[in-house]
Amino acid sequence: MGTQIKDVVIKSDAPNTLFLDKHADYIAAYGSKKDDYEYTLSEYLRMSGIYWGLTVMDLMGQLHRMNREEIVDFIKSCQHDCGGISASIGHDPHLLYTLSAVQILTLYDNVKAIDVDKVVDYVRGLQQEDGSFAGDKWGEIDTRFSFCAVATLALLGRLDAVDVEKAVEFVLSCMNFDGGFGCRPGSESHAGQIYCCTGFLSITGQLHQVNADLLGWWLCERQLPSGGLNGRPEKLPDVCYSWWVLAALKIIGRIHWIDKAKLRNFILACQDEETGGFADRPGDMVDPFHTLFGVAGLSLMGDEQIKPVNPVFCMPEDVLQRIGLQPDLLI
Amino acid sequence: MAESEEEVDVLVQRVVKDITNAFKRNPNIDEIGLILCPEARYNRSPIVLEENKLGVESWCVKFLLPYVHNKLLLYRQRKQWLDREALVDITCTLLLLNPDFTTAWNVRKELLQCGVLNPEKDLYLGKLALTKYPKSPETWIHRRWVLQRLQKQCSSGFGQKEQQAQVEAQGEAERSRQSEQLQRALQEEMKVCTEAAGRYPSNYNAWSHRIWVLQHMAKGNLKILHDELSSTRLWVSMHVSDHSGFHYRQFLLKALLGELGQSWEKLQTGNLHLPPHPPTDSHQIPHTNGEGTAGAVEDPHSAIPQLFHEEMELCTDLIESYPGHETLWCHRRHVFYLWHHWRKHSPAAGAQSLVLTHTAALLNETSDPHEEGRSLQAMDVDCVPDSNKHGGYTQDTKRLKRGPVPPCPGLSSEHVFVSRILSSCRSPEQGRFANAYRKWLDSVIRQ
Ligand SMILES: [Zn+2]
Repeated sequence: MGTQIKDVVIKSDAPNTLFLDKHADYIAAYGSKKDDYEYTLSEYLRMSGIYWGLTVMDLMGQLHRMNREEIVDFIKSCQHDCGGISASIGHDPHLLYTLSAVQILTLYDNVKAIDVDKVVDYVRGLQQEDGSFAGDKWGEIDTRFSFCAVATLALLGRLDAVDVEKAVEFVLSCMNFDGGFGCRPGSESHAGQIYCCTGFLSITGQLHQVNADLLGWWLCERQLPSGGLNGRPEKLPDVCYSWWVLAALKIIGRIHWIDKAKLRNFILACQDEETGGFADRPGDMVDPFHTLFGVAGLSLMGDEQIKPVNPVFCMPEDVLQRIGLQPDLLI
Repeated sequence: MAESEEEVDVLVQRVVKDITNAFKRNPNIDEIGLILCPEARYNRSPIVLEENKLGVESWCVKFLLPYVHNKLLLYRQRKQWLDREALVDITCTLLLLNPDFTTAWNVRKELLQCGVLNPEKDLYLGKLALTKYPKSPETWIHRRWVLQRLQKQCSSGFGQKEQQAQVEAQGEAERSRQSEQLQRALQEEMKVCTEAAGRYPSNYNAWSHRIWVLQHMAKGNLKILHDELSSTRLWVSMHVSDHSGFHYRQFLLKALLGELGQSWEKLQTGNLHLPPHPPTDSHQIPHTNGEGTAGAVEDPHSAIPQLFHEEMELCTDLIESYPGHETLWCHRRHVFYLWHHWRKHSPAAGAQSLVLTHTAALLNETSDPHEEGRSLQAMDVDCVPDSNKHGGYTQDTKRLKRGPVPPCPGLSSEHVFVSRILSSCRSPEQGRFANAYRKWLDSVIRQ
């Protein structure tokens, strides 16, 4: 009995060139359908949605097409008394959306629009005794939030506000025998969490603590015959996981271990030629999330039509250069 | 159809009420779903209750969701007042349609804090949401918060210091009622996890939640660890692609290694009291069958090799029956790694290899105690009189009943296994995974 390996087949007529203009049109139009049912459904993560859209526009050199003033005003009205920022107006503040907001304002070179000191206080207040970070005042712990915390502070130039040593200790306690990381100590390795943890260790200057060969091995095993990458064994390939795995490989200096040409083919096949945008897999519905990670992945592999992307912050390199932020990468 | 704002208002309020009433009429609803139905049928509610299934006709969702969504946000911005009952109803409808709406769960946390909602009811809503959205991260996050609260309540009498003395005065009865409540919550939680795991393959959120439950509600409880190991055995055998399920077993094995190793150390220093882990921390669920706690009275000399032998045997079986599954090969790596690591570093295993070297020398066999499973078997012969020397813990009838420790894998037996698979395999994937495993043995384990 042969088992069908879990993968996709890329059809011969799948897109194999990059439709940047289409993608820019898709993102520019996305925000205008505000009374859409889907739009309501995803409001709980609006701030991240805006970050995805703006970042991909900036990577394509199209940031000017977005409504800067409206967006900055929106972010201001999402900052709460505690300093934290929510996904949208009337929602509760959370580290996830605090990072997205700070990323957006950094793209716009305008972090002063919000009360930065209060953001710093908010982040500091979420650190726990064991060094971990809660996502919000209700106390959920996850290595994703450790990443959000240090990324937010690093963008604001205030990493000294928290106990970095303890924070590192906690993240390292989530390392597994395969070199990967999970959401909490003892949890399964997961490409998204690995991206967060290697990004965290890069920002905190602790990448030497990673077993790069072992982790690189696990990450490379995510590449499937179609060229796409999955996030865990026997999952389907996905454009967003392709980014997380690829970025983690770049951070630990092992990006040359995968077959870039095949991955590029897979990512290009996930475009929708008509509507613009990328889907998780060829033929699926497109969305801004996968559109960012498709374009960012191509950039990380050196596509010259796109601005270089930073693997740790998933933001254009020129933006980070402007604020003088150069997170470590292993070579 | 209802299109004007007023009509929508009336319609939606009726639907929200219908949902609330459905739960009142049938407290045993166990699943929710969407009924594909593009148009309203005259004079009939879009809420359908059939047996224990609650369905919402799809045509009304596009009115219902934005309405309850906006209503809650207006309340959150203090632009509109809602009484507690309305908040309960609205968040219920909202979360059944969109369970990742974090703020709605937060509103329910506040309702729990002021006693309007009770934890069990709230866990029930989450359970229903998971029947339709088994991954929903926010639903799992909320469950952890509720469970932690439940635990705190049970340990300190609803979290108020003044009440603590009172609770103590109420004594044993109250304490056992609370521990039963926690026990029930734990069992229910495991069921919810299994169900969600069945609804979505490699459900990271469900399985990492299950790990969290063990870590927070059953710390150091050997019986529960053993029960979990046996209750997930069949499940993983039927879900051979589910890496998260297998990872859970890896977690259990590692936890058992830790616990059994600890009782071994206590045994060595004469600190082992029975029951082995007196429930010193009232946050923990007390061990239900004290001295009988399976494994705790077992000697890790034999209990640990037995565990690993069984797991490797299961893995071999599955790899041979279902060729080409990456998950199974990953499992093998992790289990072998744990075993290998334990043998190298654990003091209990250290004693074992000491005996082993002794035996090997006597039998004039292999000089490397780590290499062959067979010499481990020989070791066990020597092991019984050896443990006599430590005194006090010699009546290990359980182990004697089990008979000699089965052969456990070593590097060379793993290589033999890979060669056997490769020589008989017709699946190219199986060949690829077997070769990768061999490479892993050579480069990671050999180091
Ligand atoms: Zn994806």
